[in-house]
Amino acid sequence: MSRQKRQQNLIGYLFISPWLIGFSVFTAWPFLQSLWLSFTRYDIISEPKWVGFANYHALFTQDPQFWQSLQVTFTYAAVAVPLGILCGFGLALLLNIRIKGQEIYRTLFYIPSIVPAVATSVIFVWIMNPQIGLLNGLLKTVGIIGPNWLNDPTWSLTSLVLISLWGVGGSMVIYLAGLKDVPLSLYEASLVDGASAWHRLKAITWPFMTPVIFFNLIMGVIGSFQYFTNAFIMTNGGPQDSTLFYSLYLFNRAFRYLDMGYASAMAWILFVIVVGATSILFMTQKKWVQYGNN
Amino acid sequence: MQSDSRWLAPQKWHKILVHFCLIALSLPAVLPLLWMVSTSLKPDREIYATGGGGSAPTLASLLPQAIKWSNYAEALATVPLGDYLRNTIFLCIVSIIGAISSSSLVAYGFSKLTFWGRDVLFVVMLGTMALPGQVTMIPVFTLFKNLGWYGTYLPLIVPAFFASPFLVFLLTQFFRTLPTEMLEAGRVDGATEWRIFIQLVIPLSKPALATCTLFVFLGTWNEFFGPLLYINDPTKYTLAYGLQQFLSNYGGAWSYLMAAATLFTLPILVLFFFAQKTFIQGISTTGGK
Amino acid sequence: MATTDQVSRRDVLRWVGAGVAGLATGTYLLTPGTERRRMRGRKTVRYWHMWSGEWGEVVQTIIDEFNESQSRYEVVPLIIPGSVGESKFLMGTVGGDPPDVMTHWAQVIPTWGSQGLLLPLETLMSRMEWEDFKATSYPVSLTTGMLGESLYGMTIGLNAFGLYYIPQHFIEAGLDPENFPKSLEELCTISELLHRKDRSNNYTRIGYVPSNFLNLSQVFGGGLYDFEKSELTLNSEENVRAMDFIVEERKKVGFDAVNRFFSGLDSASFTGGWPFIGGALSCTFDGQWRVEQIRKFAPDLEYKTIPLPPPQGGRPLAGVTNGNFMIIPKTAKEVEGAWEFVRFWSGLAGSEQAASLYTRGGWLPLNNRIAEAPDYQKYLRENPEFGTFVKVLASQDLVGNPPVPTQTFIMDRANRSEDFAIRGTWSPRQAVEELEKAVVEEQERRRRLGYAV
Repeated sequence: MSRQKRQQNLIGYLFISPWLIGFSVFTAWPFLQSLWLSFTRYDIISEPKWVGFANYHALFTQDPQFWQSLQVTFTYAAVAVPLGILCGFGLALLLNIRIKGQEIYRTLFYIPSIVPAVATSVIFVWIMNPQIGLLNGLLKTVGIIGPNWLNDPTWSLTSLVLISLWGVGGSMVIYLAGLKDVPLSLYEASLVDGASAWHRLKAITWPFMTPVIFFNLIMGVIGSFQYFTNAFIMTNGGPQDSTLFYSLYLFNRAFRYLDMGYASAMAWILFVIVVGATSILFMTQKKWVQYGNN
Repeated sequence: MQSDSRWLAPQKWHKILVHFCLIALSLPAVLPLLWMVSTSLKPDREIYATGGGGSAPTLASLLPQAIKWSNYAEALATVPLGDYLRNTIFLCIVSIIGAISSSSLVAYGFSKLTFWGRDVLFVVMLGTMALPGQVTMIPVFTLFKNLGWYGTYLPLIVPAFFASPFLVFLLTQFFRTLPTEMLEAGRVDGATEWRIFIQLVIPLSKPALATCTLFVFLGTWNEFFGPLLYINDPTKYTLAYGLQQFLSNYGGAWSYLMAAATLFTLPILVLFFFAQKTFIQGISTTGGK
Repeated sequence: MATTDQVSRRDVLRWVGAGVAGLATGTYLLTPGTERRRMRGRKTVRYWHMWSGEWGEVVQTIIDEFNESQSRYEVVPLIIPGSVGESKFLMGTVGGDPPDVMTHWAQVIPTWGSQGLLLPLETLMSRMEWEDFKATSYPVSLTTGMLGESLYGMTIGLNAFGLYYIPQHFIEAGLDPENFPKSLEELCTISELLHRKDRSNNYTRIGYVPSNFLNLSQVFGGGLYDFEKSELTLNSEENVRAMDFIVEERKKVGFDAVNRFFSGLDSASFTGGWPFIGGALSCTFDGQWRVEQIRKFAPDLEYKTIPLPPPQGGRPLAGVTNGNFMIIPKTAKEVEGAWEFVRFWSGLAGSEQAASLYTRGGWLPLNNRIAEAPDYQKYLRENPEFGTFVKVLASQDLVGNPPVPTQTFIMDRANRSEDFAIRGTWSPRQAVEELEKAVVEEQERRRRLGYAV
């Protein structure tokens, strides 16, 4: 290695050293420790004791709630993430049109995403009350008898998806920012060609936006697998385990039943799933995500 | 730019249609918030008028019949607001300084320097974003405990100084758009990487850094679980913890909770309204491209 | 862009503005916060509890009174929201900085006690005190606070449940409120006359509809635990009968309609929002704390209380209950101060003075001595309906939840089974059998791993 190269390496590592140190101390080391914990019996208090694959074995063979929580989480991810992208992107398209009050509209749609999750949960528990909630009250004025939203096993997960759409403003601003980067000359050219709005969207906007959509997709999937607060406050997993999210069940195992080894095993299974899911998405990106258009 | 964007300014009937759509769509976005604010202004008796198995609320019940501003004063009186606000601002400032300085350094390293193993490390860093917090929660806690940091702000502050993968990712996207020639010119002039970073790159990155600042601010402002776990001194808690108290099973009334939630959200709202231009500009140069 | 030699006025203003703002923030941040300790020269007793809002103020008066009553300790409270109390306590203990004393729900006692997290309180008593404590305390404070031979939690507020009803509703329905049903079955029958519906067929008012399997299983002569033999009895025939009763009665009203009605109500409300106050419940089974709540938020409400009538062949004055318990972590730093505080509040240090503390939150006493103290008797005279709960509390058939380390798991699963049953998903027998199966499997797994079960 030449002296210059060595120096380059040294400078590079110096620059990334904050992350390198933080990664090894606060992430990598605890991460390996939790892998070890997943093979132990550990109640937080006494010393961990090695039990081999017992936790994994119990999870896979005799814990129906584990499978239920996986199913709930997958269903939520499969529905809420695409819907969120659709709504966020659609809103961004509308808000990109130059009209009066654009700032106000943008702020209006963005606010819900910054309301603290705790407050959101409380507001919606109330709004979705089947008898005295605002939602069913409004439905009633148009002659619909609303469901028992959060307290009906067939509607509870749907309710949580709807509530998640309320916070779609967070991804909306990212799409808005992406839309700013679409070269206007392309639109002008297409206007001259007399292309329809739909065609413009398909041929120009969409390809430019695919990286942003991909980014939101990945973040959305990761976020869904860690979904916790709303379910914790609003439904606590019920009714009939219909909103027993993986993170919620993991939390209960760890802190309600004091079984940290079991919870660590669950956490590791979750990690493998998330890495698997994101890798699959990364593999598909060659087919539809277009980087570096010009 | 201005002249190019004519097509984005649509025709009149088209505009009306867009307004109509936006207003219709903003209803579900805004109603819950209005509900929150209106509840915060209602006397208890009025809130429960719709309860108790009585009539379902209509849009009219959004308007409080008698406005009770004192809900705010009474809600605030139950928590040591001065302490909580001070602590929250302190944590926000320190976290912002730590996260922004460290993340921009790391991002510069990943985007503009070449060194052995760079791309692999970058992928590893992205991978850590997919790591569920629960995996590392207990070992991290034990670590801080062994360092003797339990009961202090250090566990909440120190990690910020070691770069956040999300911010690093956003900033690398931005730094990559800076022309390499400019940096090369600096290098030819004999400037060190440190000087290039401080004197050339940072001044050019203001919008991106502003966006990151807002993200860190939001995150710290809302953070509830961290302070709860690590802090034991009642006067060292934050606003998010104060808000949580209104939710407690043995807690007070809906009106107070809603008043507290409104107050808690208000500063962020004002901040976003005035900063949205910079914010969106900042994202547009970073977000996932 | 302005260069250094041509600074615009705007820039100057901007910098001055930023400077002032920065200075102001800095000064603000540097001003000292509220002094945590107000009393110099005293040992700090760190006390965690979960009461905020109005109830928090009541607790604060008790703390203040304790601090004034002696000159060695200062109790400094910290409010931990109930939902996160458990994780906070565990982390505090692991972190080597637990509270000196904490109030929490009884359900944590067996789990934490068996893990060795809690100080056995009898070790702080003299032999005589301990014998006296066992002899005088209400039975339920022992079945709830003890695990094996040790006392891990000291009650400062047991719960007891009874029926709250509105006589006026009975009269309107052509019933005689003075002649209250003598059996649970009869109560359910007359309740049908109390239900009201609106035009869209939603219930707007409901009489008594049974729920709470944990409690009714005991009422029906079963229960989840046999305290004599010290063993779980999850799937007894009595328990199946109790579950069956809940399901059948709810079926009569309509599964969905009942669920809607109850989820439409903020029935957990600790303020004026409790549906009974609003008139949506004509007769409901609830805890003694409602008496104090009604006094605070609806002093004009005319209501009565009465113990739940037993079903045919069931036990009168039976039930399962819990309460707020004081626990002292084994690793607490200021054990003596903590114990002083516990003695002060619970009434071990003096029944007469503690009686006034108990009345302040409408809490049930630890033993009959406190109940008979002047302050408590005065409270009972002012709130005659409260007497029902004192009566229920003294019952031998009022017990705690199963005192086994897996109690939390068992209770979660029991509630889950009830949830599946009252929606018609599981038959009553199936619900009870599922509970048995889940608990047996979990206990076996834990036993294999070497945990206490």
